[in-house]
Amino acid sequence: MGFWLELAASGLITGGIYAVVAIGLNLQYGLMRIMNISHGEFLMLGAYLTWLAHTTFKLNPLLSLPAVALAMFALGLVVYRLCFYRIARTAPAVEVIEARSLLVGFGLMFLVQNAVYLVWGADLRGYSYLTDPVDIAGARFTANRLLVFAFAVAASLLLLAVLRWTMIGKAVRAMMQSPIGAQMVGIDTAVLHPVVFGAGLALAGVAGGLLSMVYEISPSMGEPYTVTALIVITLGGLGSALGSLIGGFILGVVEAFGMHFTSPSLKMLLSYAVLVAVLLARPKGLFSR
Amino acid sequence: MREALIHARGVRVRFGGLVAVDGVDLEVRAGELVGVIGPNGAGKTTFFHTLSGVLVPDEGRLLVAGEDLTGRAPHVYARHGVARTFQTPRVFRDMTAAQNVRFGLQFAGRTRKHAHDAFDDVHAILGFLGLADAAEVQAGGLTPARQRLLEIGVALGARPRVLLLDEVAAGLTHNEIDATAQLVRRVRDELGVAVIWIEHAVRVLMNYVERVAVLHQGRKIADGAPRNVSKQPAVIEAYLGEEGEPEMKEAP
Amino acid sequence: MRARTALLVTLGAALALATMPWLLSDFALSLTLSCLMYAGLAVSWAMFCGPTHYLSLATSAFFGIGAYVTAWGVGTLAYPVAVLLGGLSAAAFAALVGAAVLHLRGAYFAVITFGLGELVRHAITYFEKSYAHTVGRVIADAPDAFTIYFTVLAVTLAAVGTSILVRASRFGLALAGIGSDEERAQTLGVDARLTKIAAFTLSAAFAGALGAAMAVRWTYIEPTSVFNPFIGFQTVLIAMVGGAQTLIGPIVSSVFFSLLTEFLRLQFPYAFLAILGLLLIILVLYLPGGLASLFTRWRKVHA
Repeated sequence: MGFWLELAASGLITGGIYAVVAIGLNLQYGLMRIMNISHGEFLMLGAYLTWLAHTTFKLNPLLSLPAVALAMFALGLVVYRLCFYRIARTAPAVEVIEARSLLVGFGLMFLVQNAVYLVWGADLRGYSYLTDPVDIAGARFTANRLLVFAFAVAASLLLLAVLRWTMIGKAVRAMMQSPIGAQMVGIDTAVLHPVVFGAGLALAGVAGGLLSMVYEISPSMGEPYTVTALIVITLGGLGSALGSLIGGFILGVVEAFGMHFTSPSLKMLLSYAVLVAVLLARPKGLFSR
Repeated sequence: MREALIHARGVRVRFGGLVAVDGVDLEVRAGELVGVIGPNGAGKTTFFHTLSGVLVPDEGRLLVAGEDLTGRAPHVYARHGVARTFQTPRVFRDMTAAQNVRFGLQFAGRTRKHAHDAFDDVHAILGFLGLADAAEVQAGGLTPARQRLLEIGVALGARPRVLLLDEVAAGLTHNEIDATAQLVRRVRDELGVAVIWIEHAVRVLMNYVERVAVLHQGRKIADGAPRNVSKQPAVIEAYLGEEGEPEMKEAP
Repeated sequence: MRARTALLVTLGAALALATMPWLLSDFALSLTLSCLMYAGLAVSWAMFCGPTHYLSLATSAFFGIGAYVTAWGVGTLAYPVAVLLGGLSAAAFAALVGAAVLHLRGAYFAVITFGLGELVRHAITYFEKSYAHTVGRVIADAPDAFTIYFTVLAVTLAAVGTSILVRASRFGLALAGIGSDEERAQTLGVDARLTKIAAFTLSAAFAGALGAAMAVRWTYIEPTSVFNPFIGFQTVLIAMVGGAQTLIGPIVSSVFFSLLTEFLRLQFPYAFLAILGLLLIILVLYLPGGLASLFTRWRKVHA
């Protein structure tokens, strides 16, 4: 019994990370039709920043998380202004915004990943943090993974709360449902768009920071997460943060069990299988109305 | 009794909680010119989407020349002789008018043979519509009124048996509307194509069609000769809520 | 330019290029080979993505599949057969994937095709480890440089020729209609689903054949080196800058970028990838129509 619990729990832990990354991407794409294909690279940057803070300044990674979030948010504002703002301003149609931001994102992916290669090399880096085992209901976990789970869930719930109960959250949801209507009541996209973009990157960075506590990091670690985030968005429905949360957990658990019965190398195959299955059954996502 | 070219049975379309088309039956036979009218939001265009395969109805069946095409892709409908225009003209903007019309001939129109010569020639179709001089002009550069005419030409290029026209007279002046209506009539009279015509300019439509169906809130509330339909209380009531809707004239 | 003329010009260029092995140094020939490969990749990419405006990031996956067909078949299969088989395998994979995801919107399609490289890499790694009990493979029996050159030339020639024929055909018209207004094209009789799958498959076939042809240039093949996202990146960059709507654009662009990349690689061996990434960003932001748009603007001014 303990073993299955461990397996399910490890799936939920991974799923929590997926959820955090997916919510960020969901907001960006749902609001601005910007599919930031370099999203995973900012997860990687968050991981490296946390690792740097820990190894250079001996900072507790948990404590550096807020700083990482802030730094990534600021970076997001800059990246939006430099790379995506112009597209939104000059593109003649939404499809063009989508197409061009994809290309820019693609370039960004290569730029960021290889910049990190330049600075820190391709070797795996890592640090040790809270690796003591913890026993819960017969299942054994390392403390750091429990912490990652707790933080991922907390971050997702916090975001859900912001979206539902704060003015800015409501503004975001309004914009996503009816861009023109929202602008007519005075919601300013010039402020909202960079903020949401920054928030998305901040989420990715936090996810990366959390991951750095458990796993070793490398410049290419972020790539798969963009694809996974998209699969989660497809599962949970575009525009639904709750859907991304639940979808993330589902994907994580399915992967965990699937990998156990087949092989860890088939993780991508499993996620794609889930994607295709969802597309065939409910093309608009599991949670869309 | 001629077999129905298009037979819609109990078509129902839901968008979330809203029922846009609520169990509509419609039969159109070869050579008929049928008008479809109704206040805004009555479900006319949505109904057209189901008739052309663009939207799959949640309930009901769609038969084209006796064959059940429910749930099939739009190109299947086109190949069975159903062509349509859209409310806002959707022409291929980067192609010339001639290339636009030729498009239909290259695909749906390719396997279809029609008795009338006009269908085999791009320039004949353009001439029929009064667009002969615009043949080499980029579709995107035409005035909206001419784009609307081109829309009809594009649909004719597919050599249809039945043509679905969606508000081809929108935004036109009084004279232009009459000219358009005459054109619609000529399509049926000279080219032998059955026409189902949605129009907001009800008065003009009623003068040119032999039969009119009235949709209101997704349901068909009347179906018959214009002079009979215009007298039905349900129809009058449906239009009372409409601003500026003129009284319906009797057909000549 | 009429199709027949274009084909003749292509043939002429191919004949001229066929004399290169005897005229160029080893290094120059290698560079030409690289240009040819990217020309073939860019042209076949543009075959589907140009008219339909889809962004496919699957080139790396197709290329890698072709490369592995050669890796598995070298020794048992003749080189031309391996190249053909590589193309067919990539095409089969594309047909499968296409049937599943081509109805999706641009952004979804792009990210999903991007993940395909990872997917295939993992699958092959697993297969190699579990069934072949190996990590990488040695290519012992490689054909000589001349054979490789002529094979790649032939495949690229086929890609360009096919592209010319497609553009002049009904198939190409259907693709253009799909790119202009897919629903409209469907209501005029175009089977959009089948047409897109067919074009996607066709484009993949050439990418796979090129992968199979180039694989013999490595002496040691393993998944990580073969499924390199750079191939897909470079293809997109080239096609985007050259203008995916034209035929000559990607060809000229591939020559330019192959030379530029070689130069950058020599000058900044570690930073050149980052530089190219930055270049793509700048180009998309300030020259979204590619170099072709500069040309059109110049023509308008001087008309």
